[in-house]
Amino acid sequence: MDSLINAAARALAAGDLLGALKRVALRDDPPALALRGIAMAQLGDLARARALLHRAARGFGPREAVARARCVVAEAEIALVSRELGWPARTLAAARAALEAHGDRVNSAHARHLEVRRLLLIGRLDEAERALAALEPMALPPALRAAHELVVAGIAMRRLHTRTARAALARAGTAAREAGVPALMAEVEGTTATLDRPAARLIARGTERALLLDEVETLLASGALVVDACRNVVREADTVVSLATRPVLFAIVRALAEAWPADVPRSALLARAFRARHADDSHRARLRVEVGRLRAALRPLAEVNATERGFALAPVGAREVVVLAPPVEEKHAAVLAFLADGESWSSSALALALGASARTVQRALEALAEAGKVQSFGRGRARRWMSPPVPGFPTTLLLPGPLPGG
Amino acid sequence: MKRSAAEIIEEYGPFPGVEAVHGVTFDGRQVWFASGEKVNALDPANGKVVRSIEVAAHAGTAFDGRHLFQIAEDRIHRIDPATGRVLATIPAPGNGGDSGLAWAEGTLWVGQHRGRKIHQIDPETGKILRTIESNRVVTGVTWVDGELWHGTWEGDESDVRRIDPQTGEVLERLEMPAGAGVSGLESDGADRFFCGGGRSGKVRAVRRPRGE
Repeated sequence: MDSLINAAARALAAGDLLGALKRVALRDDPPALALRGIAMAQLGDLARARALLHRAARGFGPREAVARARCVVAEAEIALVSRELGWPARTLAAARAALEAHGDRVNSAHARHLEVRRLLLIGRLDEAERALAALEPMALPPALRAAHELVVAGIAMRRLHTRTARAALARAGTAAREAGVPALMAEVEGTTATLDRPAARLIARGTERALLLDEVETLLASGALVVDACRNVVREADTVVSLATRPVLFAIVRALAEAWPADVPRSALLARAFRARHADDSHRARLRVEVGRLRAALRPLAEVNATERGFALAPVGAREVVVLAPPVEEKHAAVLAFLADGESWSSSALALALGASARTVQRALEALAEAGKVQSFGRGRARRWMSPPVPGFPTTLLLPGPLPGG
Repeated sequence: MKRSAAEIIEEYGPFPGVEAVHGVTFDGRQVWFASGEKVNALDPANGKVVRSIEVAAHAGTAFDGRHLFQIAEDRIHRIDPATGRVLATIPAPGNGGDSGLAWAEGTLWVGQHRGRKIHQIDPETGKILRTIESNRVVTGVTWVDGELWHGTWEGDESDVRRIDPQTGEVLERLEMPAGAGVSGLESDGADRFFCGGGRSGKVRAVRRPRGE
């Protein structure tokens, strides 16, 4: 490295962003572009940061594979923070492989974490877990260790392993304090706080109350028959019947579960399942067909018995029937849940994360925007969505240390 | 051109508080190395840092028999090693793209990193007297017995090479092992080169080949 790059890198590492920029402001060689890109990212100008890092990566020569890979990793991190989840994962994987091959352990671990965070965000938990298992956290510097534990906690929370999540968050907190990175400490605190906020509502025998994530975990292990309206499944312990693609069947079973042990009149079921106000013969016939399908689907778990005025749920083994509902039930709740992370999302990234079509997400966003629940900025492909109030940009930019050179 | 593997005789460091070595020189007894905000004197006999001077030190280091020369940002400082005072300052020829520094026969030789050049400059004014082109980034320069040697470190490859000071033609190459880059180069006047090891924080002694 040359003199000014060394001086600028030292300034950057010490948090003197303007001092770093001043030294390389007028230079367009790849190491200078990379340093300017990182400084810009830390100043929050992510668009310019990406452009600079991209130019830097392209400018490094064939013998500078490591410097180039570090730029690619920094670019990928900005894409992740910007929720551009369509950013080519293959490019990141190739950069990680290059860093690994050249013994840059810290940056290759950082790249691996970015891959895992992306998988976690789009709900591919198994893959995230497998990728994470390839890392040895104790060998990492504190900031990366904190990031590691945050990802472990994220996976555990989505799998409803709250004890694992709390333990990981405790380790994350220790590592974040050791690293002395305020943004990381804040992220750990924020994530810990979500564990103490209601994660769901329990509806049982006509009453309703909020549940924390640990209580959800306990409930699912309790042996009760749970009609889970968060995931549209019916489960008892490890037996799970998914009705995610069969909304009518789910609406019927949920109505039956809410009324349990009482029955539900046909007219009420028709209203819930088909939104039908006046039941005619064709509706009754349809209801019979759907109940028949529901019986078949629920066979290992429960029976659906005809009563004088309608139908009732009769669990086979379970002694209790409950409904687990999202904490807030409104249309497009899932879209809002993703936007609640405070980042700005593109509609295509949301579609990827939700596993829905771009058109569906677009419609949901427009409806939410009309209701004043979300806001957008930018136009066309650059359009981003956030839930107000607009939060500070971005949280943890764990870009690799002063970039170029050896 | 002769090619051979560099023979590393000794490794010093990493040293506490030193993140990277940016330049090295030798005053006959001690190896001085630049580490960002300090120039440190290393006793090659026992590998200990015996003293440090607080001064900006971002790239090459040289010694003219009395004073240290040290590149800091886009300047070259002349430093009194006894007091640590900066006695004079001249502009660096690469405008901050400077990397290696050597003293020989009354002039300073400055490597320009990505410019892939070596400049000979007037130590009083900084005026460029002559420029030699290299085909590699220059990370260290030294003269010994009339031979001009320079270090290169391009991404993953690094070597110490002797070039023809008139034409820039490469006469001999000592290839460094993978992972050992050269940032700063100085001969001890005999059969050793001292090489800065960049962010490894190490200083390495490499055997200087004798022949012909």
